[in-house]
Amino acid sequence: MTTVARPLLAPSGVRFTPARASGVLVGLLLLLAAALAASALLGEYPVDIARALADPASPDGRVLFGLRIPRAVLGALVGASLAASGSALQALLRNPLADSFVLGVSGGAALGATLALALGLQAVAGPSVFAFVGAVAAMSLVLAAGRARSSPYAALLTGVVFNAFAAAIITCIKTLLTPDRLGEVLYWLAGSLGYERPRTLLVGGALQLVALGLLWVESARLNLLSLGDDEAASLGVPVRRTRALVLLATSLSVAGAVALAGLVGFVGLIVPHLLRLWLGPDQRLLIPASALGGAAFLVLADAATRVLFPVFHAEPPVGVVTAVLGGPFFVWLLNRREHPS
Amino acid sequence: MTAPVLETAALAVGYRGSPVVSGVTVAIAPGMLWSVLGPNGSGKSTLLRTVLGLLRPIEGEVRLFGTAVGRWDRRELARRVAWVPQSFDGDPGFTGLELVLMGRAPHQGAWGLPGAKDLAIAHAALAELGIAHLAGRIVSRLSGGERRLLLVARALAQEPALLLLDEPTAFLDLQHQAQVLERVRARVRTGLAAVAVLHDPNLATAFTDAALLLRDGQVLGQGVSSELLDARRLGALYGLDLFEARTDTGNRLFAPRGKS
Repeated sequence: MTTVARPLLAPSGVRFTPARASGVLVGLLLLLAAALAASALLGEYPVDIARALADPASPDGRVLFGLRIPRAVLGALVGASLAASGSALQALLRNPLADSFVLGVSGGAALGATLALALGLQAVAGPSVFAFVGAVAAMSLVLAAGRARSSPYAALLTGVVFNAFAAAIITCIKTLLTPDRLGEVLYWLAGSLGYERPRTLLVGGALQLVALGLLWVESARLNLLSLGDDEAASLGVPVRRTRALVLLATSLSVAGAVALAGLVGFVGLIVPHLLRLWLGPDQRLLIPASALGGAAFLVLADAATRVLFPVFHAEPPVGVVTAVLGGPFFVWLLNRREHPS
Repeated sequence: MTAPVLETAALAVGYRGSPVVSGVTVAIAPGMLWSVLGPNGSGKSTLLRTVLGLLRPIEGEVRLFGTAVGRWDRRELARRVAWVPQSFDGDPGFTGLELVLMGRAPHQGAWGLPGAKDLAIAHAALAELGIAHLAGRIVSRLSGGERRLLLVARALAQEPALLLLDEPTAFLDLQHQAQVLERVRARVRTGLAAVAVLHDPNLATAFTDAALLLRDGQVLGQGVSSELLDARRLGALYGLDLFEARTDTGNRLFAPRGKS
């Protein structure tokens, strides 16, 4: 009697239930664990796990614990941050194209880090700090634009314009750089997962935990905000406070990710889109699912760069892999959206 | 008479300091269904948004349940006042039931997990409007009329004491227009106060207790529907020559005279 669009997905009309959410999240957690394991094993140097575990000081142990695992953890942190923030920003700005990169945070962070590298500050974690400052500055600008005009497009357009502005300044700085510094900047800008010290990873992880936790706390209000500011207000949401909290949390999270890994694109668009097709638009499920899915996605993409090493005789930055996968995929998604089943 | 749930005093509403309509002084009591009538752009929606606290009054004040609207906590207010917006296009793909359950948000914990009671109320609201079959459908794939019915169901699920409806009958076929207003009337009989922006004076005479007429930035008239709404006043309201007739139950009916 009832024609339900997708009966298996919406048996009773409510897709967010604690049972279903925990099932989905456990599944994604297993996927992430598998991705981390694959990432630890894949690479130019074949790691013998038994030997590495038996003697952490052996070459196998040093590669596994000193290089592979920290890098996989870094990938997971960055992927989780980009995907979860992308999901939150899409709901907040009611625009499926909203993403930390479109919004200009990338431009701000890249500008900051380029400046630091140009000034020769890489020794004292200069790029990270400058990228952070740049990202927060960009997000504040977008936030201010969004507040001045309540239209979600104002924020998006401000971000696009800011990106162009930052790109111009970066180009200007690049022409002034010596060749060796230029190489460093270019590799970082392309989005790459390199070596980070355990302490950096710990601080980065704690930052992401706070930022993404805040997003998850706000996720029910974010659902209402995705209908429109006025509707959300009429349903009891303190709109200004919620907007500010979500923008703060996403800028914190994305700034941390960009400072660690440079410009890794498309994760914040692709992962939430895929998960939304599967799970529906409820942010209470979508934010943690995007975090886990984005982590697994980036860890696997990074493992792919190592598999590609023999082909290129160099590791392509992971940002290249996500862009090469993400670009065509995104065009396909857009096409799909225009012809709903 | 019971204390009014909504009072305005010399209220002027508009955007950026320029009033669209001013001098609105009304008191709306529980158990009353008001219509707001007027030509396009006469400030009907702006008035509702100001009453809801989404816009600041340019002059005068709005009091809800005796307290100035600006002093209400949004969540507290949302437990008492529901709004059916005029347009609805921000939906990212929720199902009908998910959308209606959002009406329960101000009554739930901050994280909004629906309890058995919330689900029962949401299902009852869907059934009340005869749209139980929309529970599992994706809202963005429904017709404009079906979406409108879902928004009314959401407002009913909110269990408000004051219901503000911005063109609740737009996009609806005749049967559903009557059904929506009948359902609202039924709630009004049990103590709800409701204000509906309408475009059809015949619906206003058939279903509402009182009317507020807005034109050219001011109140053209207000009062009991059956006394206020006649061909002369409505003709002046819409700038139109209107023909008036009576139904078998004594209600007035209006139609443009058109060509002979």
